[in-house]
Amino acid sequence: MTRDRRSAAGAALAGRTVVITGAGRGLGRACALRFAEEGADLVLLDVGEDIEGVPYPLSTRGQLTHTAKLSEERGAAVLAEPLDVRGDVTPAVEKALDRFGRIDVLVNNAGIAAPSGKAVHEITEDEWRLMIDVDLSGAWRMIKAVAPTMIAQRRGSVINVSSTAGLVGYRHFAGYVAAKHGLIGLTKAAALDYGPHQVRVNALCPGSVADDPAVDGRMLSEIARSLDVAVEDHERVFVQAQPMNSLIAPSDIAGAALWLAGDDSSRVTGSVLTVDGGFTAR
Amino acid sequence: MATAHWSAPFQCPEQAAMCHSLTVSCPRPPSGSELRRRLEQIGERAEGVLWERRTRERSTTPGARRYAEQEARRPLRATSGPRLRVTLVRHTDDAADLVLVAARDALSRAALSDLAGFLTGGSPPRAGRHGIARETSGTRAAPLVAPEWGLGDLARRGLVGAARFSTPVSENPVSRELLTAAAAIVLARYDAEETPRIALLDPDAAGPHALSEYVLTYDETMSVAAFLAGGPETPEPAGEPATEPGGGPAIRVGMVFGEWDDARRYHPCLAPVFPLTLQAEQRPDRSWSGACWYDEGVIDARIARAFAEQVAYVAQWLAEPGEAGEELPLSAVPLMPADRAADIVRRGATPAATASPTAGSTVHERFEDLVRRDPDAVAVTDGTRTLTYRQLDEQAALMAEGLRSSGAAPGSMVGVCLERDATLVVTLLAILKSGCAYVPMDVEYPHERLRHTVGSAGVRVVVAAADVFPVVEGVRSVPPEELLRLGERRVSSGRTPSCDENDPAYVIYTSGSTGRPKGVVVPHRNVLALVDGTAEDFGLGADDVWTMFHSSAFDFSVWEIWGCLLTGGQLVVVPFWITRDTGEFHALLAERGVTVLNQTPSAFLPLVAQDRESPAELAVRLVVFGGEPLDARELLPWFARHPQAECRLVNMFGITETTVHVTAQTVTPQAALRGDRSVGPALPGWSVSVRGPRGEVLPVGAAGEIWVGGAGVARHYQGQPDLTARRFVVDPVTGERIYRSGDKGRMRPDGSLEHLGRIDSQVKIRGYRIEPDEIRNVLLGAPSVSGATVVVHRDESGDRAVDRLDAYVVLKGDATVAMVAEHARRLLPDYMVPATVTEVDAIPLTINGKVDVARLPAPTAARPAAAEAESPEPVETDSADRLERDMLDIWSRHLGTRVGPEDNFFSLGGNSLLVVRVLAEVKELGAPKIAVRDFYRNSFARQFIQLVRDRITPAPDAPAATGGARS
Repeated sequence: MTRDRRSAAGAALAGRTVVITGAGRGLGRACALRFAEEGADLVLLDVGEDIEGVPYPLSTRGQLTHTAKLSEERGAAVLAEPLDVRGDVTPAVEKALDRFGRIDVLVNNAGIAAPSGKAVHEITEDEWRLMIDVDLSGAWRMIKAVAPTMIAQRRGSVINVSSTAGLVGYRHFAGYVAAKHGLIGLTKAAALDYGPHQVRVNALCPGSVADDPAVDGRMLSEIARSLDVAVEDHERVFVQAQPMNSLIAPSDIAGAALWLAGDDSSRVTGSVLTVDGGFTAR
Repeated sequence: MATAHWSAPFQCPEQAAMCHSLTVSCPRPPSGSELRRRLEQIGERAEGVLWERRTRERSTTPGARRYAEQEARRPLRATSGPRLRVTLVRHTDDAADLVLVAARDALSRAALSDLAGFLTGGSPPRAGRHGIARETSGTRAAPLVAPEWGLGDLARRGLVGAARFSTPVSENPVSRELLTAAAAIVLARYDAEETPRIALLDPDAAGPHALSEYVLTYDETMSVAAFLAGGPETPEPAGEPATEPGGGPAIRVGMVFGEWDDARRYHPCLAPVFPLTLQAEQRPDRSWSGACWYDEGVIDARIARAFAEQVAYVAQWLAEPGEAGEELPLSAVPLMPADRAADIVRRGATPAATASPTAGSTVHERFEDLVRRDPDAVAVTDGTRTLTYRQLDEQAALMAEGLRSSGAAPGSMVGVCLERDATLVVTLLAILKSGCAYVPMDVEYPHERLRHTVGSAGVRVVVAAADVFPVVEGVRSVPPEELLRLGERRVSSGRTPSCDENDPAYVIYTSGSTGRPKGVVVPHRNVLALVDGTAEDFGLGADDVWTMFHSSAFDFSVWEIWGCLLTGGQLVVVPFWITRDTGEFHALLAERGVTVLNQTPSAFLPLVAQDRESPAELAVRLVVFGGEPLDARELLPWFARHPQAECRLVNMFGITETTVHVTAQTVTPQAALRGDRSVGPALPGWSVSVRGPRGEVLPVGAAGEIWVGGAGVARHYQGQPDLTARRFVVDPVTGERIYRSGDKGRMRPDGSLEHLGRIDSQVKIRGYRIEPDEIRNVLLGAPSVSGATVVVHRDESGDRAVDRLDAYVVLKGDATVAMVAEHARRLLPDYMVPATVTEVDAIPLTINGKVDVARLPAPTAARPAAAEAESPEPVETDSADRLERDMLDIWSRHLGTRVGPEDNFFSLGGNSLLVVRVLAEVKELGAPKIAVRDFYRNSFARQFIQLVRDRITPAPDAPAATGGARS
């Protein structure tokens, strides 16, 4: 049946509209390009400017435009919009509906890894609030805006990009760990809310993802910087911690997201898919 | 003929059906800001409306066209939002496609076209045409109601396809009217509809005027010339498409006409508005090019394609019927060229199996071959006696000698009227060995029937226990023991009489639905073909243990006996009393390790219930259903205990006249859940096709009479040449000898057959065609019903208006017939709701295990539960009492059941014709005229009585009694 659903071009997501937050670079861009190859129409959202309190540069408008361009080259129809998930996300979702008429998949990928590097009692009120606002509440706002459409369509897939930090703790990352754990909780609760409507909600937990110039990925470097360690040292520690002895590639995550987005996972909901090279298997 | 597909799964198809689109090629496209300016110039905001997309293709490539097409088939959002979308798809060579998508009721096709012209540099649209309506109005897209013949796959709902069709360039071009009439004629054949309705969608008119309806009175006898001279009837405004169940027949086919334009591609809808939506555009050379839009959840792609082809074919045929054609009645207009018809017939035939592993061209020679292979294997056992293949063969040979000395000449018919035991099997084989054909009769049959049978078949010798068979002049009744004694005394001639494959093996009398039983003469080769056609697929062999459960007078036993003995199996003869005791029978199955079980569905269901309670393990690996239509849903409890891998269930459709079976369908739990009605493809060597009343090949999907050809067709009806000539005919299409079954069915695109009951079981009530089996299926779906049957009650007066449907149900637990009636009312359109529902302890069965209609009790009316707890009547004056009594009396007579004040006219089977009659009679009593409309508003007896009372003595204060809603 899955094969039958594919278009003549053999694309798994032909005719589907996918909304991706944090699409400017990194995992968001990796997902966009992979989905474009599978025939999806894309709504690419990213903040496009720095946020006060985040100690590293966030994706730029240029990076978002570049993701759009790369996606179009792969045949996708694209709507690219700046969006800060801390604010009102409704206009962006409305615009997506005007353009494409439907939303089939939401990838809640937007997130920040810092301000971090402090013990719990050292975190300031603002730092805590910022982390939760972007990494947890942002995903909630997107689901809130998109769910009515998916319910009306009687079908939809929401993919919340959590982290191994949603499963285990990391020293000096309490805000991030709390937000990502929260995202898994949100996933499970939303799965129950929307199950009867055939709308699926799943979490994806990447382990440490290698920086990849192809997608302007730099998460690893930023985390190393917030811990004040050399990137090479940080990378070595993580490689050793992952039983498969390698970091995760952005394409690994895009592949897992594609599976959760498409019909091959049509009875998968409320689940947590871990892509961490075995890190949390111990 | 190309079929385009595109994927739009999970979209609300209703929304897509309301959108249309226009694509215009722009060699020098306007800039985005120019488009924005122009939109604003006519008062439209560009925000949320105007979009741009860039491709990496040159505008002339198929890829570029595909991207534009993707935008052109993208519906607007279903919820509130802009009613128009303008997308400029830019290609690498600077050319672009401008794609406009709009809601049809917001912007007509003409307005869309004007707007496209304006946006690409033309003059502003004419006043009044560009205004985009903000509110939805009229032409609401109703949910598609699947026509029976569509055979869509629900799992593919939302997948929209478009099949291309065209008419050729011709000196006699097809007109718009002719194309519409052709669609109506094709539809009439699919739907067996006398007044096919075709909706005409006019995308140039927004709002409620967008739909009109073309109704053709399909008078089959009208000549083509008269039809063409008369011209089609004028289309009438249709309002909203009527598609609600019970709200009248839904419109199945709609048409949209347009002019061909090379530079502009127009889609009248982005999902089908009607189950089949035919879009047709006339080219400058006056030929037509079109697309047939369908939803795969509703119409199978192959059926949609064929339908579109047939419309084009019939239209062209009507345009140039030729002189001979003009004289033909409308019913003779061919739907397809002869080679297409031949294709359909070919697909219904299954090639014969390759050569049989066993030798012999008659049943007994085949058996003798098996005796040589394994003489000591057990052949038959009946609980008291067991015979090996050799013993059975020797006994039968002896008895054959006895038969000869009793005057049974080779080639004659020998009657058999024995209890079910091993001796019966010996006797049947002996008759064949003596070169005769057996005529089985059940010992339970009434004497009159036994006399009729021997008389009709020309039987001179009957093998029967002493004193069982009635005395018939010229007929000798011989007990089997005596035949054996005679055989032992006689020195064997050593020669078996000459007998070949075309000689009759048996004559079985079937009681047709009407008239006297008919003797079906079946030759040896048919029986061998049946075994050869099934042995490999069913893996029949020496390890199998079969039951002989059925009366030898029922041809299911032919399959049981010879299917077993000609494949080396062991036959367990089940005594009659055990066949009537499910518990004993289940125990026997377990004890004897029966592997192959043959059952009628009616007999199998109690066995399933027994099986669930019994700890005994069964070895059954194959269950074959025959003799009756199967409702696969009833098998689900069986699957729960017996996985498919261990026990295969096969539903076989068959007819005595075609040698027991015709088709075979393995039943899966999935198919059972779906309520699948397929009885499978023809057996190897058999063929099935579905024909119209004149023998014409019907298209796949359309329901008609099942014609059976091939290896199973019997020789004739014994002594009934006229009937033989009517039913066994030469197929004008294939030249092959076939049997016209009188059964109704439809071919499916995969070559399998759906069996839809007897043609003559169909009944028309209020002009609706009704299949009692369909209603039975619904009743069985009620949680409290474990058995059901629906019979058509025809009034003896021959008055069709009082024909009604009586339902009989077996209930579980605390369920009541009122609950079942309520269930039926909820799921069935009014005209299909049984007039009565009667509870029975069990559905009575005939000797053959089929539903015995004659033994069903007289029906009791199903009344709403409220009526049962009715309070005593309020005391009224004498005259009021009389009025009430008179009215109830009139209702009772017309409804054919006793009516109380709380009864609803329609719940008791009332219909519009009866309303008219009741009102006429009320008027005769001197009451003022009551409008039919008022009757409908007062359809409870109490309301109606009050209505009449008010009309006779109008209460000054009270308004006319038109309140009282039907509840």
